[in-house]
Amino acid sequence: MALLHLTRRSFLTCAGAAALGSMVSEVVFAAAGSENRLVTILLRGAMDGLDVIRPLGDPDYAGLRPTLLSQAPGGLPLDDRFALHPALEALHPLWQSGEFAFAHALALPYRKGRSHFIGQDALEHGSGRADGAVGPARDGWLNRAIGLIPGADGGTGLSVGQERLMIMEGGVPTGHWFPVEENQLSAQGRSLLDRLHREDPLTGPAFAAAMELATAGGKGKILREAEMYDLLGQELARQLLGPARIAAFALNGWDTHQRQTHLIGERLPLLARVILSLRAALGEAWGRTLVLTMTEFGRTARENGSGGTDHGTGGVMLAAGGLLRGGRAFGDWPGLAEADLLDRRDLMPVDDLRRYPAHALRALFGLEARQLEEVVFPGLDLGRDPGLIL
Amino acid sequence: MTPLAQIRFGYGPAAGNTGAEAFAPGELMAQLTAPDPESDRFARPDGATRQALMDRHRAEVRRRRKTGDMSDQDENAPGRQLKTIFAEDQLAFVLRPVAARNGFVERLANLWANRLTVGVVGNAGLLIEPFRTEVARAHLAGRFEDMLRASLWHPAMQVYLDQKRSIGPNSSLGLRKGLGLNENLAREFLELHSMGTGYTQADVTELARLLAGMQPDANGPGLNTAAVEPGAKTILGQRFGDDDPVAEIDRLVSVVAARPETALSVARLLARHFISDDPPADLVEALTQAYLREGGDLPALYRVLLDHPAAQDPVLAKLRSPQEYAAACLRALGLTGRETGLPGLHGKQGFRLPEALMRMGQPIFRPRGPDGWPEMAEDWLTPPMMAARIDFAVDAARAAAETKDPLAVTDLVLGDLASPALRFAVQGAEQRWEGVAVLLGSPEFMRR
Repeated sequence: MALLHLTRRSFLTCAGAAALGSMVSEVVFAAAGSENRLVTILLRGAMDGLDVIRPLGDPDYAGLRPTLLSQAPGGLPLDDRFALHPALEALHPLWQSGEFAFAHALALPYRKGRSHFIGQDALEHGSGRADGAVGPARDGWLNRAIGLIPGADGGTGLSVGQERLMIMEGGVPTGHWFPVEENQLSAQGRSLLDRLHREDPLTGPAFAAAMELATAGGKGKILREAEMYDLLGQELARQLLGPARIAAFALNGWDTHQRQTHLIGERLPLLARVILSLRAALGEAWGRTLVLTMTEFGRTARENGSGGTDHGTGGVMLAAGGLLRGGRAFGDWPGLAEADLLDRRDLMPVDDLRRYPAHALRALFGLEARQLEEVVFPGLDLGRDPGLIL
Repeated sequence: MTPLAQIRFGYGPAAGNTGAEAFAPGELMAQLTAPDPESDRFARPDGATRQALMDRHRAEVRRRRKTGDMSDQDENAPGRQLKTIFAEDQLAFVLRPVAARNGFVERLANLWANRLTVGVVGNAGLLIEPFRTEVARAHLAGRFEDMLRASLWHPAMQVYLDQKRSIGPNSSLGLRKGLGLNENLAREFLELHSMGTGYTQADVTELARLLAGMQPDANGPGLNTAAVEPGAKTILGQRFGDDDPVAEIDRLVSVVAARPETALSVARLLARHFISDDPPADLVEALTQAYLREGGDLPALYRVLLDHPAAQDPVLAKLRSPQEYAAACLRALGLTGRETGLPGLHGKQGFRLPEALMRMGQPIFRPRGPDGWPEMAEDWLTPPMMAARIDFAVDAARAAAETKDPLAVTDLVLGDLASPALRFAVQGAEQRWEGVAVLLGSPEFMRR
């Protein structure tokens, strides 16, 4: 009952229930003074970058992933080393048009613990510490960045949704917003139908239960999951065409210890849907937009014994948008030979994940190096510009 | 005006329709031989075309695997073409009845295709539409025996019910490799396709022995002689296996088709599908007698059905299946189902019919088992399935929205059958589209 479900109160519950509780999505916006737009998608649960952006050209890759590769073989070629997971096929045209790219083997300074909770906090806070600590303020790097953007008006942000994301929390007021579905029966329409079905012994009980499903918000299995993500993209776009310039939301469900082929094969198309619907709905403004996905860490180079992968270190960041200098792999490739792995198990990080959003904030919103290294990402060495932006 | 014939024996009135004054069995019967260019527009690529594409696709996959070629396939690559064909097959499942003029023919085509269900198994999904055309459509105005025979030999059925894996244990192949029978097709042929009762496990096993080695090709029936089980078989008390296996299987089909159990089973199917989940006993009896008297000539049965008083009963006892419901909604509003980018359909992908039907409980070409889609209303009435129907009603109403007067649509789709309560409700909505949504989402419109 997605259409009836999409009320202010239930949208997020529904999106989560649709993924059987594992892919709750939270949306947070903030306003800013620039025409540029930054969308950060948090992929919670640690997405397996080695499956999503497959180094098929690396001689050690196939040997590390026999089961996963037999279940979902191949991929769409990106360059002579990498191929895109088949379930992300919908994004392949964006690679070809230069609107999609990735950086592999990235990690936070938090590396050895491999805890989701610490890792997610560290990612959203922008922690530079090896233990991932976030400090007493528990604020997010996007919030601190917004505080530094000239002309940003964090106070005009909207607040919608169940939980707030730490990445957007802090001293600067930011919006918290929730998409509302317009296309549903009014309370009156519903009650008219209710009266008709109530008199019918055949359809009556099913109709009453269906309405209860709708109002209970996510107790039943919500089937129109894919549309939720279209809608999310469209509503995001609507906000970004208004005052919002910086948005963040979370897609959960990437902790694929088993049945990875199935799980990741379900989630990747949803990610693609959000990005593509955002792109379509933004129209020209897509040309002033950058989308970054981030995950707390990567997963083991070698598949485990249950058709999955375990917590690792080096992960992948995906990037999309009209501002992107796309169609290319950013950063170096550490290789997958056993001696090249971290602790002989994880993809060796070649770079600090935080450098990419830092340089993006600089290019899009004019933040200064010192602000980025001291306030937004304390302790970061900004280093050379990776050249993400056109 | 009472559009009863279109509701009970078709996919409902279509916007722009006129006429349909009185219930006329003769007009429905005339559909069996009348041309229907609107339906023909949805004729799908035939089995041979598909087989050729599948062969090319397999060769291409082998080549790419061998050479490590990961380049993009162009639009004309056989794999792409097959994908498109299958996607269109699924759309046609709904769009064809939406467009068709001869609704009774479409209903019959779907009824028989469901009686002799083939579903998606591996690549065999591509054979489903040829099966529907070559078995159900081709024989719906002929004799049941001929339909049964075409079904039994059809490659789609052979794949769906594992006949390829059934090897005579004493055939040369069976002896050499230690292989044996697979009774799946033999059992379902007797249980679901024909008799339903009146046979034993021994009959099933003996029939499986007779069927071992069936290997139809593009030209029809054929044999893999290495898998044919030698020796006599006793099925339903008769001896088979002394003649050419193809001829013997032919004779077996005739024997089974002539059985009274088969007559009763077909009679019950027709009565239950068109009239009521619990059909009148005298109608079932009349249909059974007609079957036996006319040698399973199906039009003779249709005539008995249409002439029975229950055919004109104004009480609509049956629940529309999701396919029937979706088609009826679209027809009522003059939509084709291919509309895209409509208000209320967030996105530009139109109705997404396969997804909509799946949510209503009918994933196209993927029934739960060889017994096909359920005939009983309760099976379509879980709360999520009902919720999906209401969603579809809203989508359709929004798509046609501003131009439709709810009361006029009510007159079109139900006429005199619309209750005062329904008329009151559709007028009570604040917006036109919502009035239409209330109509389409009402229990009366869900029935036929």
